[in-house]
Formats: sequence, structure tokens, C-alpha cells
Amino acid sequence: MPQRVITGQGSKLGRTIHGLAYDAVHDEIIVPNALADAILVFRGSANGDEPPIRVIQGPWTRLVTPHSVSIDPEHGEILVASLTGKRINVYRWDANGNAAPLRVISGPQTQLGHLVGIAVDPVQNLMAVANSEDILIFNRTDNGDVAPRTRIAGPKTGITDEPWQMQFYKGKIYLAASNHLHVNLYSGVTLKESSKAVPDDPWLNPTLGFVGIWNITDNGDVPPRAMIRGPFSGLLHPVGLALNPEDGEIYVSDSVRNGILSFLVPDLLESKDQNSSSDHKE
Amino acid sequence: MKRRSSGVFFVLAGIVSCAVGLANSGSDDERRSKPYPEDIPAARRVIDPYPALNGIAVDPQNDVVIASDPNRKSLLFYKRSRSAMENAQSRPVRQIIGPATYIGMVASVVVDSQRREIFTANNDIEDTVVVMPYSAKGNASPMRVLSVPHQAWGLALGKSSDELAVTAEIFNAVVFYRREAQGVEAPLRVIRGPKTRLADPHGIYWDDVNAEIGVANHGNFRGVIHNNGGGCAPGPAKSYPATSETAKSESNKSEAAEEGGEFRPPSIAIFSANAKDDQAPLRTIEGDATRLDWPMGIAEDSAHNTIVVSDNGDNSILIFDRQRGGNVAPVRIIRGERTGISRPMGLAVDAKNGEIWISNYGDHTALAFDSAANGNIAPKRILRSAPAGTPTPGFGNPMALAYDSKRSQILVPN
Repeated sequence: MPQRVITGQGSKLGRTIHGLAYDAVHDEIIVPNALADAILVFRGSANGDEPPIRVIQGPWTRLVTPHSVSIDPEHGEILVASLTGKRINVYRWDANGNAAPLRVISGPQTQLGHLVGIAVDPVQNLMAVANSEDILIFNRTDNGDVAPRTRIAGPKTGITDEPWQMQFYKGKIYLAASNHLHVNLYSGVTLKESSKAVPDDPWLNPTLGFVGIWNITDNGDVPPRAMIRGPFSGLLHPVGLALNPEDGEIYVSDSVRNGILSFLVPDLLESKDQNSSSDHKE
Repeated sequence: MKRRSSGVFFVLAGIVSCAVGLANSGSDDERRSKPYPEDIPAARRVIDPYPALNGIAVDPQNDVVIASDPNRKSLLFYKRSRSAMENAQSRPVRQIIGPATYIGMVASVVVDSQRREIFTANNDIEDTVVVMPYSAKGNASPMRVLSVPHQAWGLALGKSSDELAVTAEIFNAVVFYRREAQGVEAPLRVIRGPKTRLADPHGIYWDDVNAEIGVANHGNFRGVIHNNGGGCAPGPAKSYPATSETAKSESNKSEAAEEGGEFRPPSIAIFSANAKDDQAPLRTIEGDATRLDWPMGIAEDSAHNTIVVSDNGDNSILIFDRQRGGNVAPVRIIRGERTGISRPMGLAVDAKNGEIWISNYGDHTALAFDSAANGNIAPKRILRSAPAGTPTPGFGNPMALAYDSKRSQILVPN
């Protein structure tokens, strides 16, 4: 049983939550509500039908189906990836109401597509997003229609479709590479002309997902430097991912299992390179 | 080590860290009894081994109750008139489960008792409605699979028009198909637009006698639909201040104000059964007096001329006068410790036997109440998908995680 549950109409939560972040500096929980174009911020100890202490929502926010959030405690910023808005919005950590973003990355140069994961490295001033079929890395302070500085993509990466939640830790990207195959036959509620047949169940993709770890400086068709995957791992199509470096644990949620798996892997959370001393290049 | 979060614990089997490639994943590898270095067993798991009951339908003609189960990805048939033997798990008459079934993150379920067919909606991300015959069992292939818009939740069958209605949460829409639609088939009509007052719709019922459709709304509303009707397409960028810097000099706030998301009150919107496009509801139940709080399953009770709603956020069943709208109080409320209501999701009315059925997502049960029940009253019968007292994490496709380092807790959204 959960130790506490934030729930109910008063919480302003939606029942479709694809992102989550905990701000340890301010002891706050940050949750996107994609169906109301809003970012909710709760007390860290929130419980029950408790309202958020702040809500970022309104036309000036430029929020469009916000799905993923990350916190940059070093610079006091909340980063938001919009799944269908194809944009990254950055707000002050204490933004509230109809607040305009500090920065917005969007436009054709960005290569932003189906965004579900986002993470920031405040030390190296880099930011990564889990894009449609790849990982895009931007400078943390990029703004406007800018090209990513690097892109991790290709068959060696093992990423096939919709990489999901990611985290940064000590110069490394930790990714839940779901590898489900989601084919959307509709544009809104209108059937696309190109739609001809019902696709297979997206969770039956025989190419299973995994947890992959890359260096933030990797670029191109680079294999993960370390992975968790395979039948003994219990991972089928992992989507959520959180790190607990103090206890050497990586937590992963799996949509098919409808549950959480905890991997005790202190080696994977050490700062040493898991593969070699040099960065991978394409 | 610090205190652990809630979960199932088992012994750590091994830790290996190394660089790996992606080439060694052939069928021979899958038959290995020893894991590859990267195939690290989980030290702990929080996974519910029992079915979690989400949608529910009742067919008094055939004496069955059918529940959808997004946890094990199955449909369960129970004998309607049977109750759990004390605290034991109820044995289903049949279960449909397996990769051939297309059953995934299933939400609503409705039945066509005349044709002995079950319809269930895959919510996220399968985007399908699956139709099974009553006779299906185990890893059965569906009779029909229909592609529907993303985030389908509620289902209703219109007997007079021979249609299937599907709610789509993110698009604030009700989409209608031929009852026998399958594969890739365009909707016959759609209710959608600002006049409809649809906002994150979930449960839906079809009242053939009064030619009405009722929809339960959570109130989450995406403003972009105001202007372009393009669903996920963002509005024109020129309507917005680009960033906080440019916001200081913007003067078009009123124009842009139509684009932002909103939290609207939860509501029940009742439409004409032949409504379409941006048509306003006939009446709407909305306001503080209604006590609506994440309304989920909904049904019409012709015997009492009422609308019955499972109120997830308030652990209650709300019963409204069918003909009234506005900020009206329920005529009856089933709520309290004796009811056993725990995070109710699906709801069905058995007019023949005078019963209201709900599925509890909070504790592995489905409950049958007398349809005239009121107040803190015990259910007539209980079906259990797990032994009484079995805890449930309550997960519903958890697609993100966070770690609360201050409390040593894993945060899980649903």
C-alpha cells in the first residue's frame, strides 16, 4: 500500500501523468497536468485531496500538453517538455499563475518531436530530452529555434521508439528506453488518410526496452555505456526512471508489469566511466 | 541503509556493471538459465499480482458481471448472483488474458447482452476498442478491434441508432461509430467544441428511452481547442509573449487568453442522443452542491429516473434526479465506512434486479448495492479479485517516477 496518496479534484491532478520531479532544495513535488496545460507544484509532504501551492497555467505560459518536467536546483528553474507542442519551456522554480517562460526552445531547427523525457545537467550546463526516437542535447541556456548540439541516435543505441523518462547524474544520462511501438492513426479525433490497418498492440513489440546509460558528451550512433535489460531483470517496456544514488538504487516503472522495480546497482551510479576513458563519437 | 519505501522485498541476486553491446539478444540467449551481465534482477518489486477491477458491466439476462482489469490486462466474468465466500477470493467463471487478446490498459467495459458481446476500451496507449464474444476464454483473439482516438475511456451502446459512443479524454470529445465498426473506420459523428462543455470526459451512458447521452467530466480543459479545433496543435505563436522578457511589453493578453488551459468544475453533461459537432448539452449538473469529485463510471437508472455516478475522489456513489440540471445536490448518496467503497471506477445499473454495481480500484472488490440504497449502508454482495485485506498499490500504468530524498520515498503518478 502507498504511504500516502495525493488525489481528488482538489489536487487539480489529471489522471494522465507522464512526468514527475522532486525538488529537494525546496521540498516540493512538480507534476504536469497535460490535459489542462498546467504545471502543479505541491508541498513535499502533500497528502490526500490537497491543492497545489502553485499552478503555472494560462496563455502566457505557452504550455501545450506538458508531459515531462525536471528541476534544476542549481539555477532555480523548472524545465518542461511538451509532447505535442514540440517545445521545451523553462520557468523560474517559483513561477506561479499565468507566468511567461524564461526561455522556450521550439522551431524546425530544434528537431523536437514527441517529447516525454527531460533532464538537466547544471554542472556542465547541458540539457537532454527524450525525443521521438533519439536523445537530443542542448545547451542549458539555449533559447528559440536552435539546433541541438548533439544527438544520440541510431541502431547501436538500441532506442527504437518513444524513449521515456530520463535523469542526469554525474555527467551521465540514465534513460528508460521503452521501445514500445505506438502508432497513432488519428490526428485529434480525425482519422488520418494514411491509416490503413490496426497496428499491433504497442506493448507486444518483441524488441524489449531497457535502461540505458550514456555520457552527456556522447554523440551519434553510440551504444549505451551500461544497461539493465533481459529476462532476469523483469523489464519489458520500462517508462519511468528515478535515481537514489545514496543507496545505489535505480527505480524503474514498467507499463506492462504495471509496477515498479528497484535495482541495487551502486556501480552504475559511480562517476567512473562504465566503458572507457574516452567519449564515444559517431 | 535508509528506510525503504513500501514494497515487496526479496533477496538481492547479483550486481554487475560493465559496458555492453546490443548484439547478443538472439533466441538462444533467451534460453540461458544464467543472466548476461546486464540482466540484473530487481532487488525489490512493487507489483500487484491480482487483477485490479476498473470497468464493470452487468448482464442480468445471462447472470454475469464482467470487469476489466488493467493490472493483469484481462477481462473477468463473474456469476452475478454469487457473492464472495466470506473473505476469500471470488473465482471468476472465465478470464480472458494473453497476448492475442489485445487487452491492455483497459478502462470501461459494456456488454451487448442480446448478441453476447463485450466491448472494452484500451485507454493508453493502445488506442483501441476490443470486442470479445461471451464465449471467449484465455488467450482468445477478439471478434473485432477498432482503432479509436488516443485516451479512450468511456463506452456506451445506443440500441436505437445501433452506435457505439467512445469518450476521448485529451480531446474533450465523444466519438461515435457503427456498433459493428472494426479495423480502421472513420467515426460517424463527433461531439466536440467549446459549447459542449466537455472537459476530460470519462464515463458515458446512453439512455435510449429518453434519447439522451450523459458524460462525466473531470474538468481538465486544454485551451488550444478554443481556437483551432486542432486537438494537439498549439495555437498561433504570435498570440503569446515569447518569454518573460517580451511579456513585459505585450499588449495582446485578452486575445491570447482564449488559448490557455483551464480547470473547470467537474460536471455531468447531458446531450441529445443525436448530438454532434459543437452542440451544447441539454443540461449540465455542475457546482459545489453536486459533490462531484473525479466522477468516473455513470449510468441511468430508469426504475428511479435517476443518474448514478461513481465519485472516485470522494469514495461515494452519487444519485441525481435525471431531469434536473445546474448546481443540484444528489437525491441520494451512498457513502461511509460500511459501504466498502474505495476509489470507485466503473459503475453499472441492473434494472432487472434493482442493483447498482461498482468496481473498487482501491481494494480488489466489486460491490452490489440495492438501487434504492442511501447513506452509510453495506453492499448486498461482494466480489473479490484478491483475498480480503490484500493491499494494492493502486497503479494505473505508472509512466514516471521521482525519488523524494528527504523522506526516502518513491513518488509514483498514475
